Amino acid sequence: MNTLIQQIVNGLSLGSVYALIAVGYSLVYSILLFSNFAHGGFLVVGGYICYFMLRSLEAGIWISSFAALIGAGVCAVIVERLAYKPIRERTSVTLYMLIASMGMSIVIENIFVVTIGGRFRALPPVVPMQPISLFAGATVSAFDLLSFVTSMIFLAALQLFLSRTKWGLAIRAASYNLRTAGLMGVNVNRLISIVFFVAGLLAAVGGIFLSVRYTLYPQLGSMITTKAFVAAVIGGLGSLPGAVAGSLILGLSEMLAAGFISSQFRDIIVFGLLIVTLIVRPTGLFGKSVGEKV
Amino acid sequence: MTAALELKNVSKLFGGIQAVSDMSFKIESGELTGLIGPNGAGKTTVFNLVTGVYDVTSGDIELKGRNVNKLKTFEVISLGVARTFQNLRLFAASSVLENVMTAAQQHNKYGFLEAVTHLGRWRSMEKQTREESMALLERVGLADRAGQQAGTLPYGLQRRLEIARAISLRPELLLLDEPAAGMNAEEVVQLNALIKDIHGDFNLSILLIEHHMDMVMEICPHIICMNFGAKIAEGTPWEIQNHPEVLKAYLGAEE
Amino acid sequence: MLDGYVGGIVTLLAINCVAAMGVSLFTGFTGIFTLGHAGYMAIGAYTTAILTVRYGLHWLPAIVAGGLAAMVFAYLIGIPTLRLVGDYYTIASLGLGETIRLIIENWNSVTRGARGYPGIDSFTTMPVAVGFMLVLASGMFFLVNSNFGRAFKACRDDYVAASLLGFNTAHYRVFSLAISGFYCGVAGALLGGFMSFIQPVMFDMAKSTELVSIVVFGGLGSMSGCLLGTTILTIITEFFRPISQYRMLIYGLVLVLVMVLRPEGLLGTNELTPAFIKGLFSRGGKQPDDGASS
Repeated sequence: MNTLIQQIVNGLSLGSVYALIAVGYSLVYSILLFSNFAHGGFLVVGGYICYFMLRSLEAGIWISSFAALIGAGVCAVIVERLAYKPIRERTSVTLYMLIASMGMSIVIENIFVVTIGGRFRALPPVVPMQPISLFAGATVSAFDLLSFVTSMIFLAALQLFLSRTKWGLAIRAASYNLRTAGLMGVNVNRLISIVFFVAGLLAAVGGIFLSVRYTLYPQLGSMITTKAFVAAVIGGLGSLPGAVAGSLILGLSEMLAAGFISSQFRDIIVFGLLIVTLIVRPTGLFGKSVGEKV
Repeated sequence: MTAALELKNVSKLFGGIQAVSDMSFKIESGELTGLIGPNGAGKTTVFNLVTGVYDVTSGDIELKGRNVNKLKTFEVISLGVARTFQNLRLFAASSVLENVMTAAQQHNKYGFLEAVTHLGRWRSMEKQTREESMALLERVGLADRAGQQAGTLPYGLQRRLEIARAISLRPELLLLDEPAAGMNAEEVVQLNALIKDIHGDFNLSILLIEHHMDMVMEICPHIICMNFGAKIAEGTPWEIQNHPEVLKAYLGAEE
Repeated sequence: MLDGYVGGIVTLLAINCVAAMGVSLFTGFTGIFTLGHAGYMAIGAYTTAILTVRYGLHWLPAIVAGGLAAMVFAYLIGIPTLRLVGDYYTIASLGLGETIRLIIENWNSVTRGARGYPGIDSFTTMPVAVGFMLVLASGMFFLVNSNFGRAFKACRDDYVAASLLGFNTAHYRVFSLAISGFYCGVAGALLGGFMSFIQPVMFDMAKSTELVSIVVFGGLGSMSGCLLGTTILTIITEFFRPISQYRMLIYGLVLVLVMVLRPEGLLGTNELTPAFIKGLFSRGGKQPDDGASS
């Protein structure tokens, strides 16, 4: 029973971090209708900025995190402007952007490999890690609690942004039909940049926590991206609540599988869930299926 | 003599929306029939039901007496039905000739082994497909553009190409969905002639959705009018033009 | 010495061509984007390795068996998954490829797990590889220049129109996948015989991405473009072997640049026919127009 509670707590913590990544990815998908495979790259950029500010500049955690968030957001905007904007201005075939995003993902990952090396880097221990007792004799580390709370705060902030601000409204309108939103006077290019900035920022938050959990290395991005995709698909591509739900389900499944079966099974469970979802209910929990007028 | 196409009390519901409601009509073999009605009346839905793109909610659709409700689209097509589209669905990146050959090949088949070795019937069947396609392109006046990319053709010729492609399936029933859409008066006259020609030459049954009333009234001896998913009138052009329900549907009720 | 080096490159090139042709048929000609075809290479590689090493089967039937094993698996898994469209299938293929790799990594009793499968006979000499390549290339060229080729292209360009021309699009998609699975399986088998050693990590997402990059670079929808692209990229990456950590970076950049600058790739949907080459040169020497305004 202890293990069960333990793993549930672990699962929720991991899932909430996945949610940050998955939500950013779904946000981009809902606007541009393509899977940004480079999303994990923003995560890694955030992680490395934080790492270097902590290590080399010996800055505090708050400043480093802030820099990481902004840096990742800016990186996302740059990637969009360089690689996706030229394509989407010329064609509505999302496949080309998908392929370009795959390329960008590899480029970002390997820029790090080539410049600073691919070895694992542990962040300096500035994030509290001590165990805290919970009910029923289970313990959770302060880290897990912190990551869960932080994720929830950012997700709530996102929700406020989307529902209470002008740009949030524009984004919601654009997720129904980008072109129409543009015709209604929304500056589409700026909207897309804002969306990417937000997605990059959220990814960086997740990236910092994941770097602490898994140590930081260039390939971390693609590994997490894949899991975020699975989460987004389970929840429904393009749906933000779906992304959160899917992430929590994924985190829980991973931890329960790791705790009760074996840790090799973790990854198999992830893809197993994906395949089951795609075969049984491809639109996921909250996704909408869009029919085509013949 | 069994009808080429018969709908018996066919209804189609999309969630709460009744797209087609209790439609019944018959098209005899060799007839050229018009299907008219205001936008949103359900005409294209009827086409999609016949070709199996949508399933009927209730009722029966029969092709030459055979119930086709449960058939998949490609199965319906292989029974001798062909269709053109309101919004053109050409293979834009392929050549004009290839568009037609893709359809013509359905009657000149050969197996996988012959395909990967180019032996056996490959040569003779390919030749036949190519010759049939070129002959059809001659017929519709597109032979000189055989190598051109289909997407670069002028609009009126693209419509012609789609009709040519549909005919190369050697259908017995041809469904034309607004073939004159977007055409000017002169192009409509040419299209009229083409449709009458192919109707006569290939002995097809044709069901034609159109908004160009002059075209429909001129070439269709039998017309069906729909509104809000139901049939509101059926008869000759004269009968339709004077039918109160039809006038109401298009022009609004008299006060 | 030089002969051996060049021979090795030619062999590797032949192997890459076989795999690339398989992916080209599925992605370029049938229009279905895949990120998991390395999985079929893995199935072929391991099947052939086990048959030759454990059961002493001669390499020729073993390679064919490897291809067939991959083909059967592709066919079976294709039936449920190819009902998915667009991005959904791409993500599913990613999941499938990774699942195959994970299963191989963990099924130690059969595959010897993550450490790899050593001791494979070096049956892939240059004549063997080139021989397979030529036979399979002929078959592929003949196939795409036949009714099947037109059917695949119809499914790619407009599957609704294709079904309304009497094509069972579901069947053609699965069929295309099965054939491409066979090609990748044979390529994997040949790779095993070339390196005498195979490891699951050789068939990961990076490999799948490589395959797709090659096909995109050569031109989605051109078989000769695919071969040309494979040749150019294989030779370029051989040049960069001394600085091999740049290899993936180059692949990433190729993808991005091709999509941004020339999404149709080297040859687009054109094949390298005499007429095409003549067309390239005649553009410069155009005759003056007959009466039309210039």
